[in-house]
This record gives sequence, C-alpha cells and structure tokens, in this order.
Amino acid sequence: MAAAAGGSEWAAVCEKFRAARTLSAVESRKDPETEPYRSKYSARALLQEVKQLLSAAEEGSEARLLAVRRAVLEYELGVNHSDTEELSAGEEHLQRCAQLLEPHRLSPQCNNLGILWSERDEIKTAQTYLESAEALYNQYMKEDGNPPMDPSEHFMAEEEKLTDQERSKRFEKAYTHTLYYLAQVYQHLEMIEKAAQYCHTTLKRQLEYCGYYPVEWALNAATLSQYYLSKQCFMESRHCLAAASVIFSQAGQVPSTEDNETEQDQQDLRQRKAEIARCWIKYCLNLLQSARKLLEDNVGELDPDRQLELKAQRKKEEDEKENGRKKAVLFGTSDIYDSVLAMEEKVSSVYPLDFQEAREIFLVGQNYVQEAKEFFQVDGYVTDHIEIVQDHSALFKVLAFFEEDYERRCKMHKRRIDMLEPLYADLNPQYYLLISRQLQFELADTYYEMMDLKVAIGNRLEELDSHTIKKINSLAQLAIKYYELFLDSLRNPDKVFPEKLEEDVLRPAMVAKFHIARLYGKLITSDSKKQLENMQTSLEYYTFLVDYCEKYPDAVHAVETELELSKEMVGLLPTRMERLRAKLCPFI
Amino acid sequence: SVEGDAIKVYVRVRPPSEGTALTDGDQGLCLSVLSSKTIRLHSKPEPKIFTFDYVANMETTQESVFSSVAKNIVESCMNGYNGTIFAYGQTGSGKTFTMMGPSDLDNFTHSLRGVIPRSFEYLFFLIEREKEKAGSGKSFLCKCSFIEIYNEQIFDLLDPASAGLFLREHIKKGVFVDGAVEQVLSSAAEAYQVLTMGWRNRRVASTSMNRESSRSHAVFTVTVESMEKNNEVVNIRSSLLNLVDLAGSERQKDTHAEGLRLKEAGNINRSLSCLGQVITALVDVGNGKQRHICYRDSKLTFLLRDSLGGNAKTCIIANVHPGSRSFGETLSTLNFAQRAKLIKNKAVVNEDTQGNVS
Repeated sequence: MAAAAGGSEWAAVCEKFRAARTLSAVESRKDPETEPYRSKYSARALLQEVKQLLSAAEEGSEARLLAVRRAVLEYELGVNHSDTEELSAGEEHLQRCAQLLEPHRLSPQCNNLGILWSERDEIKTAQTYLESAEALYNQYMKEDGNPPMDPSEHFMAEEEKLTDQERSKRFEKAYTHTLYYLAQVYQHLEMIEKAAQYCHTTLKRQLEYCGYYPVEWALNAATLSQYYLSKQCFMESRHCLAAASVIFSQAGQVPSTEDNETEQDQQDLRQRKAEIARCWIKYCLNLLQSARKLLEDNVGELDPDRQLELKAQRKKEEDEKENGRKKAVLFGTSDIYDSVLAMEEKVSSVYPLDFQEAREIFLVGQNYVQEAKEFFQVDGYVTDHIEIVQDHSALFKVLAFFEEDYERRCKMHKRRIDMLEPLYADLNPQYYLLISRQLQFELADTYYEMMDLKVAIGNRLEELDSHTIKKINSLAQLAIKYYELFLDSLRNPDKVFPEKLEEDVLRPAMVAKFHIARLYGKLITSDSKKQLENMQTSLEYYTFLVDYCEKYPDAVHAVETELELSKEMVGLLPTRMERLRAKLCPFI
Repeated sequence: SVEGDAIKVYVRVRPPSEGTALTDGDQGLCLSVLSSKTIRLHSKPEPKIFTFDYVANMETTQESVFSSVAKNIVESCMNGYNGTIFAYGQTGSGKTFTMMGPSDLDNFTHSLRGVIPRSFEYLFFLIEREKEKAGSGKSFLCKCSFIEIYNEQIFDLLDPASAGLFLREHIKKGVFVDGAVEQVLSSAAEAYQVLTMGWRNRRVASTSMNRESSRSHAVFTVTVESMEKNNEVVNIRSSLLNLVDLAGSERQKDTHAEGLRLKEAGNINRSLSCLGQVITALVDVGNGKQRHICYRDSKLTFLLRDSLGGNAKTCIIANVHPGSRSFGETLSTLNFAQRAKLIKNKAVVNEDTQGNVS
C-alpha cells in the first residue's frame, strides 16, 4: 500500500490531514468574531498541501485507493469552501469528489451537494441528491450490512482505524442527517405530511442512537405534537407529548457539561418545562373542542341522540384500537417506552362524550395551566401569560358545553370573566392592541352568553322576578360595553370609524354590531319610552349591517346568517315601534 | 388608518462604487429604475418588474430619502404613535450610508448625513416648536437606548462591559430590554454623541468575500414622552421611535428572509439543532387550530413585535447594489421587500359565535 512510497512520507500526509480536520472542527469555534474563518482558511491551506503531496507520494499505488483518497480530499475542500460562503468553489470540489467515486458507487457527498443546491434555491436539485443518498443507504444496508469506512479513515494509520461499532455509529448518523435534510426539502416543497413523517423518523433515530440533547429533543417532540393536533390525530399527538415529558425529565438528571450551572440555564429549563405544559393545554383544549363539534346540534347545544350514537360507535372501535396503535411510529427503547406509556395513561386520547369524561380532560388541562403560569408570570411575560389565561378561559367555555345545569354553567362563565377582566383593565392597548381586542371580544361574548343563560333560566319561571331582570339587564349592558370598546379600537386617531373594514376585523366587527343590536332588543324595561329608544338603537345597528353589505357585497360571505336576520329585523322593527308608539299616545 | 397599517417599502439603489463602474460599464448593471415606483431586474429569460411604495434611483439625495421615508414617521411619533424604520439589504448595498451617512461619523453637519441624524434633528425641531406653541403647559422627556443583537444575544452598545441582556414585557410599557442603559437627550447634538459612541462598539467581521460586514442588528430607540397639563388634568403620552440597521441580509439565515435554504447540520458531530425550526414551519401552516409552538420568534422580531404588524407606523428601506455580480442578493432583497408589503396589522380576534345566533 502506501508504505511503498515511503512510510514516513505517508505519515506526514496523515498528520497534515488530521491537523486540518482539527483546525476545521475544533479550532474554528474559538476564532475571534472579527475573523470568523481564520482556522477554516488555514485548514484549507493544509488540505491543498495534502493534495499536492498525495499526487507525488502515490504514483505507484492502487488506482481505486488513490481515487478514494482524492475524493475524500475533494470532499473536505468542498465542505471547507461551503463553510466559508464560497459556494461555487465548494460545488466544484464536491462534483470532482462525485466523479472520482462514481465508478465505485459510493457517494458520501450526496448530503453536501444537497445542501449546496439548496443554498442556491434549487430545492428540486437538492431533493434529487438527497433521495439518492437515502436510496443508497437502503441498498447498502440490504446488500452489505457492514458499516462502511468513515472518509477520514483513509488518512489514518492502520492501528488507528475505527472499530466497526464506531463506523456504524457514524454511518447511521450520516443517514439521520440525510433524513433530516429530506424533512427540510419536503417542507420547502410543501409536502407537509411527508416532511412531518421525516421529522418524526429523525426524532426516533436520534433517540435510538442516543444522538440528542434531552431538552431540545423534548421541545421538538412537543412541537411535533402540535402538528398532529392540527390534523386531529390525538393519539399521535399524545404520544409525542408523553415522550416529550419523559425525555424532558431526564434533562434535569444529566449533569451539564459545564460544572457551574448558571442561573440562566435554570431559567431556560423552567421555561422549556412551561412550554411543554402549554402544548399539553392545547392538547386538552383541542380534544374537548373537537368533541364539542361532534356533539353539538344546530344551535350549539349538546345533541343527546348524537351522544348515544357516538357512544355506541366508540364501543365498536375500542376492539379495533390495538391495531391502530401499531400503525403509528413509536418512540423509544423498551425502558423509555414503558415510561411513555405510563404517561399516556394519565389522559385519554378519545373524544369525551359526557360531562364526566370532559371534566377529566379539563382537569388535566387546568393542571398544566397552573404549571405553565408558574413560569410565564404576567410580570415579564405579558403576552404568554395572557395567552395561557385565554386557554384557561377556553377550557371553561368548552366544559360548560357539557354541563346540563344552567346555573352551574353560568358560574363557569363567571370564572372566565374573573380571570380575564383584571388583565384587560391593566393592559395598555398601545403595545398590545391585538390581545386587547381579543380580550374585549371574549369578555363581551362571555357576558352575552351569561345573559342568554339567565334568560333561559328566567323563562322556566312563572314570572320574571325583579332580581333576575336586574341581572339580565346588567349582563346585557356589560356585553354591550365590551363590544363597543372593541368597535372603538377600530377607530382611527381622529376617532372616526373606518369606511371600509379590513378583512381581518370584518367578521368580528360585524358580529359585534349584530350582537349589540340583539342586546338592545333584549333589555327589559317597563318604561315604554325607554323601550322605544332601545328598539331605535337596535334598529340602527341592524341597519348598519344591511347597509354595509349593500355597499360592499364582498362582506356578505362573512356574515350570511347575521345578515339574513338583520334584514328581517329591519323589516319588522319599524312596525313594532309604530305599534308601541300608538300605545304610548293612543289619541294621536 | 387603512393605509397606515401596512408596512411601507422604499427601495434605494446605490451607485456602483468608483472603479467598478468603469470596468463594468452600463452592461454590468442588473437592474434599471423605470419610475419612482417601479424597478426592472434584468433576470433571464424574462426581466422582472417590481413595484414598491417608492423607488429611489442612484441620484437620489439623502435629504430626499429622509423626507419621503422618515419625516412622516417622526411626525406620527410626536402624535403618540410608535414608529420604526428598518434598513435591509446585502453587505455593501448602502444600508449604513443610508442610515448613518459616510463612515466619517463625527461630522453630522455633513450634507451626506443619513436618515438617523436627520431624524434626530427633525424630532428636536418638532419638540421645540411644540414647546413654543404650548408654553409652559407642555413638557417633553426624550430618552434613548442603543442595543445590538448578535447571535440571538442582546448587548448594550452604551455599556459595552455589560453581559447579555434579556427581553421582557411589561403590561403597561410593552416589550423592553431589561437593564439596558437609557440616556436622557435634550438636543440632536447629544443624540449624535450617544450614537457615535455606541456605533464604535458594534461587531464587524471580515471574510475573504467581504472586507467588512456587520454581523449584528443594531437598534437605536428613542422614547418620547410628553406631558400636558390642562386644568389639573395631566395627560401623558409616550411613543417609541426605533431606528434599525439590520445585519447584512446574506447573514440572516435565522430570519424568514432566507427563502428556500436548508438548515445545515454540517459536521457529523454537531446536533441537528434546527430540526425544531422545520417542525415549527409544519405547525405554522396548520389550519387555524389552537396550538402552541415551543420556539419563540427571534429576538429581533420579538423586540419589534409592535412594528411588524402591530400598532405602529413602519417603513423598510431595502437597499440594493445595481452591479450584475450582486444579482442573486438583489433578487432576494427585492423578494423580501415584496413580502414585507404584505405584512399588516394582524388583528385576528378569536371569535366563534356561529352557534349563538338563535
């Protein structure tokens, strides 16, 4: 072999190569900020030297071996140029590497060419290279099975060569990278499902080959759970979250690389924990909300027939459940897997169908609300804190749907008011316009809902007592107040309401107008004059909707039902008002 | 308010540096300015036309850039609005020239001084005028801070000895950099001084490709507080003016500006730390379902949350170099600027009352 050309010379070549690798991988991290590539440049110079030495030293050696060594050098040079923002040069080197290896059907450079082409916004080309890397891996594993040599081994003395185990580790890692790059390629090509699948597999492989940082891995898994949520795959979502929680709990046990863990690290860790808790909250919320969607009738109440039907259906499905499980990609080796399973058992992944089942999920969600709030306190984390409270409110809202008793349901909404109102009062809309609007709208809606419930309760009574009337009126006034605050937030600095509403506030603004119209219609008063005034105001708001949609027909699609009812009311109200007027002054 | 919510985009074409113009000749240019709103990029096979709020050609003066971009924003800042001006573009495209002026920084009387010094002058001019008009009834307090975001860490340019700082939120005051030095300003001259001092502390780096490229985002923030006394009623108004010099766009692989690049894991020993970003992107395109994404926005977007699609007046100056060598970067800058125009005040209100229309 190389010994023919002189052992000492070859040793010098290897030495240079190794020095270049060290410079590139280790030293370059310590480069000063003003010269970020200093070590990379010196590494490049060394590699060039090795290349020259190689042609001189190896005249006589075997062609195949020489080609491989040259290819390794081209590869290293290619990576070096790419790292230092010189893409074209990097590509030339990598292409030469590919040419050298072509006859031998080896291609460790596929990953890098993929990256290179992506830097040039040629995702399709990148995809081709990466998919061929994936295919090569699969073929190789099938045909050979033994781990191939690591590129750097071609410049090592015999006794330094890697063990099979180490080789295999590096090879598997390279393949994991291929999958990871493919995940990105698919994401860019908007093949979302495929991208998610590759992300999932990448995570799984990281776990298998212990190539992960627990905190990072846990966050990734938790985020992936949110993808499954948006696809309504609750079982997969729960699996990701359970795995995230299990792996995260390892993070605290692993001693950190630095001896003195800073306060900052501790803080980070607490934040991550709270982030995962927030993913769990969303899980509970989505599960409840989806169940509600399944169960509600056309006026938004629980449909008992549907409930029975779904319960029967679930019984049937339970038998097939085990099969479904096997289809999903599962995380972990046996010991981790057991912990994940135990974690999963704490919360259901099937739609709750009655109050009891809904309550169990609600309680899990509420616990995570507390956990998340421990870190995201309002002082310092305003936006996050309010978002969590909004979720808490949403949990109550959906739980109330499952509650049959109207008084108790009303109390749940009152809880929402109690958590949202003080936050809203403190919030400065100059900096938090969006959240401020969301809170206004949600408060208005909650009061509106409570009023509706009180009316329903009142309707069961023989006669409305003065206490209930007072209650209904005050709830309606509060709902009106918050809807008006929301509408005021749309005004320009000169306090003028916009002529044409922006697309993103169109529906909320119209709904606010519509609800205000209805609320004025519901206010109870024994004073007929006052009643007439209320009807007049109500009419004005209904008219706004009708006129607006006439002027901007584009708006119709956003408020079809509301518009229809408004038109009806605009037709009816004047007659009713006329009748009332006649009653007031019967002699005119 | 309809037009005020959208981000204004202003494109400025710098002249090619002396010397290159001679060798390249007119053929060496990759774009031409068609009108004050359109620009044509000589791409192949078809040339591409871009339309912006304003396109400034190579002859445009600093004064004209200031009056068409910044004047309006400084004025609304006096009226209690937050305002932000960004400079965006590849290294060497003229960002710093546009924002600061020629690199000789000590001299702000120079006729080539940039948007930032001119904004100071105008702001204090407006303040003086207001004071004269209102007499003793109205008083102003101006403070400034100057920070740098480098590698997702925040440093105080006014206190170079300080360690990394943190972003926090206050329910009344919005987002702020905890612990950043705030200096009270009483004149434009004082503002220059602070700016010059901080600018020297910025991080720059040289590579074989770029002689000098700024690797950090610099954010200069002026807080204007006015207090008006009207028969015992005290009216306090406060607003922010952010002047942002972004890192060279070729460096900003962490923002959304990058288009279709893959995140590298590079060296086999490194972790796949960017996998999260891929997953985040997957969740991002979800269908409006309630979800939580574990990864926060970058520090820059968090700090300027109000400016990017919030309750503020925002303008982006996209700087481009006309040389044909910069074609790729110019295209990506123009694409970015095009996308920026679409950013609007996203006031999505959670609203699901469909069922309640009974």
